[in-house]
Amino acid sequence: MTSVVLEKVRKSFGSLEVMKGVDLTVDAGEFCVFVGPSGCGKSTLLRIISGLETQTSGKVFIDSKDVTDAEPSKRGIAMVFQSYALYPHLTVAENIGFGLSLARRPKAEIAERVKQTADILQLSHLLDRKPKALSGGQRQRVAIGRAIVRNPKVFLFDEPLSNLDASLRSQMRIELTELHAKLGATMIYVTHDQVEAMTMADKIVVLNGGAIEQVGTPMALYNNPATPFVAGFIGSPKMNLFEAEIAAREGCRIYGIRPEHIVLSSTEGKWQGKVRHIERLGADTVIHLDVPELQVLVVRTDGDRQISVGETLFASPVNGKEHRFS
Amino acid sequence: MRRRQIYTGIAALAACGVIFVLPFMFIFITAAKTKQDAATLKFSWPAEWQLCQNFMEVVQTRNYMLLLAYFNSTVITVAAVTLLVLFGAMVGYVLQRRPSRWNAVIYGCVLAGLMIPPAVVPTIWVLQMLGLFKTLSGMVLIQLAYGLGFTVLLFRSFIATIPRDLDEAAIIDGAKPLQIFFRVILPLLKPVTVTVIVVQSIAIFNDFTNPLYYLPGRENVTVQLTLYNFQGQFQTQFNLLFMNILLVTIPPLIVFIFFNRQIVAGMTAGAVKG
Amino acid sequence: MTTRKSAYPYWFVLPAAVVFTVLFLAPTIASFWFSLTRWDLFTTQFIGLENYRQFFREPFLIQGLVNTIIYAVLTSGTKTVLGLLLAVLLTSGLWGQGLLRTVIFFPVLVSTIGVGITFSVLMHPTRGLINVALAAIGVHGPGWLTDPALALYSIIFVDLWKGIGLATVIYIAGLASISPDYYEAARIDGATGRQMFFRVTVPLVRPATVTVVTLSLIGGLRSFDLVWAMTRGGPGFSSDVLASVIYKQYQAGFYGLSTAGNVILFLLIGLIVLPLTAWFNRKEVDL
Repeated sequence: MTSVVLEKVRKSFGSLEVMKGVDLTVDAGEFCVFVGPSGCGKSTLLRIISGLETQTSGKVFIDSKDVTDAEPSKRGIAMVFQSYALYPHLTVAENIGFGLSLARRPKAEIAERVKQTADILQLSHLLDRKPKALSGGQRQRVAIGRAIVRNPKVFLFDEPLSNLDASLRSQMRIELTELHAKLGATMIYVTHDQVEAMTMADKIVVLNGGAIEQVGTPMALYNNPATPFVAGFIGSPKMNLFEAEIAAREGCRIYGIRPEHIVLSSTEGKWQGKVRHIERLGADTVIHLDVPELQVLVVRTDGDRQISVGETLFASPVNGKEHRFS
Repeated sequence: MRRRQIYTGIAALAACGVIFVLPFMFIFITAAKTKQDAATLKFSWPAEWQLCQNFMEVVQTRNYMLLLAYFNSTVITVAAVTLLVLFGAMVGYVLQRRPSRWNAVIYGCVLAGLMIPPAVVPTIWVLQMLGLFKTLSGMVLIQLAYGLGFTVLLFRSFIATIPRDLDEAAIIDGAKPLQIFFRVILPLLKPVTVTVIVVQSIAIFNDFTNPLYYLPGRENVTVQLTLYNFQGQFQTQFNLLFMNILLVTIPPLIVFIFFNRQIVAGMTAGAVKG
Repeated sequence: MTTRKSAYPYWFVLPAAVVFTVLFLAPTIASFWFSLTRWDLFTTQFIGLENYRQFFREPFLIQGLVNTIIYAVLTSGTKTVLGLLLAVLLTSGLWGQGLLRTVIFFPVLVSTIGVGITFSVLMHPTRGLINVALAAIGVHGPGWLTDPALALYSIIFVDLWKGIGLATVIYIAGLASISPDYYEAARIDGATGRQMFFRVTVPLVRPATVTVVTLSLIGGLRSFDLVWAMTRGGPGFSSDVLASVIYKQYQAGFYGLSTAGNVILFLLIGLIVLPLTAWFNRKEVDL
């Protein structure tokens, strides 16, 4: 059971600073998700923890040991790549056992550990196949198997579900969460998808432009975003965010209200507007209201509410759910 | 298929047949003739088929020199090609994977190797100083030096298609550089390795100029040198001369039959990218 | 910042670099020095540019230089033009075009000495197949390799016979990379076959053209095997090229002069190929 600690980690490529002094603690056994838009540095941070990338300054501790200068294979980590990086010329069994055969473990030991890992992931019937004969989900599991067999202290996942289609992705989300529960290992997971972050994480780290915006549990980030960036990033559809005069009227620099925290009425409310656009999702309906002082207000309401374009509606924020950022 | 395409095709085949196939037929039928028949240099069917006798006679000439020549040529080709694949892949690998200032130098050397004619007499001087002049090992190293440019180019562009992820996965699995190279990269280089082996084997086997300069001497004959030397010997025995030519043509022909695709791929590498 | 060992160590390059430097770079650099000496492998005597002056004084040496340029330009030019035409022909859907490509390409792989000897025999003034065939239609065939005015050009013909297949195959690969969309657009624009060739095919096949021109120029300038096998530079020195001059001087023991020939060849290649490549790169068509 290991913790990962990052102290003032900085990374620059020449004059371009991509990591601006990150301090972070990942607790033992935690499922921690790094999330943020493209280019925010989440993959870079993961690769620095893994040792594949060297930081410009700062320290990395895994299990209280300073691994800042250690080789990736000596840090007690294992990584699952976005592309899985399975060796195409090796069978599933050889892929999983590759690290062990590099370390010259006896054949019997390798076979035994590969079998155990394959059993955990239901890969036992695929051991003699080559990667090109596997489906996307199966390849994913082989990549995870290769990580598990190393008995790592920390698992690192670099956007592992990005290459899967939507239905497979939700299934794999559940499998990964169950795997985490079963193994109880510390896992650091990188994604740009906030749904994955919200559903899988014990702790979310929101990154933007090489710096941490906020760290917290999913619901903490949802209910109490520390910055407008986090507020707009977490939650779908995006939170309505207003600046300038509207915010000034509400007594802050930026004013935010989530679409799901707005009540609609045909008779009275704080804002009045015309329905410009309707998105019917089945269970919900998302409405874009043209409100004069707000320009566009996005509202989420029940799926079976009768609305038509051009209709005039009143909208009011739910008490206690407004966000004011200074 | 349109009429015009069929007619043009047949016409083209006839023209190419005369221009490109006739000389080979001439080689074959002359190689099967008797000495007198061959002396006429006529494009005629052999009056008497002496294919086997001519074969035996050529092989036995000058104490089975042809066999020694084939042995030497094979040794040189196999050794040089093996080293070329190994070293060429290693250089192509570092060149492609590790961006550094040295890359420009390496590229420069590759281009130089492809363009600059070897300075033969100074090379002999160097070989003599190293005690490698007139030796098979010296010849192997020469072929290695001269063939590296093209080989590195081929490997470099192929390695570009192997995702770097695989290297990183291997690093995390604890692989050291040599292990990554031999256990992950090299197995995946099979297609281009075949191409390199095939193209370079033919080039080295057919090489005349370099053995002429660097491997003079009776003990050091190669297949091409033997053919050249026998020109004088067989001045009045065209049947034997052409049997020799036939024998020299057969190995590349066999390789061509089996590896046509790889040969063409190797030789057109760069034609599309430029 | 910590520097950890790279997974791509420099020493991977070492064995190749050593062999290349010792057996190629070093002699090339040394050749500049040796070309300024009278050299017989035991003694070297600095004589300045005397070797070069000799090169441009002696008729047989000048002839070699001139012949080399003629050889290179003619073979390269023909291979470039004819190769493209053949490639277009062999990708037009002819009956048996696969077989045609094989037949044209095979000579590329055959021993140059073998080809040289075979054609010397075929070009025999009286009994050679070529003149016999010509006589059959009433034409008196010349001494292809015995007439000093013709010898070089006969060799050039054989060089083309042997090498056109490679140019064709390279062009075929280049043609395959041109998307049919361009031809369809041209057809809609009403282009004739000839216009499509010059306005679509030729510009877009440029990478292949550059390869063919460069390879055949370098090959032509360095040509030795064929010349040596067919005429040894004769009759006299009418078909000598730089490479055969270099060898002859080496055989005669004039190592300094021979090496000077090497340097001249080196400079010749550089002076012709480098500007050409630069010119090509500037006119590159970016797709």
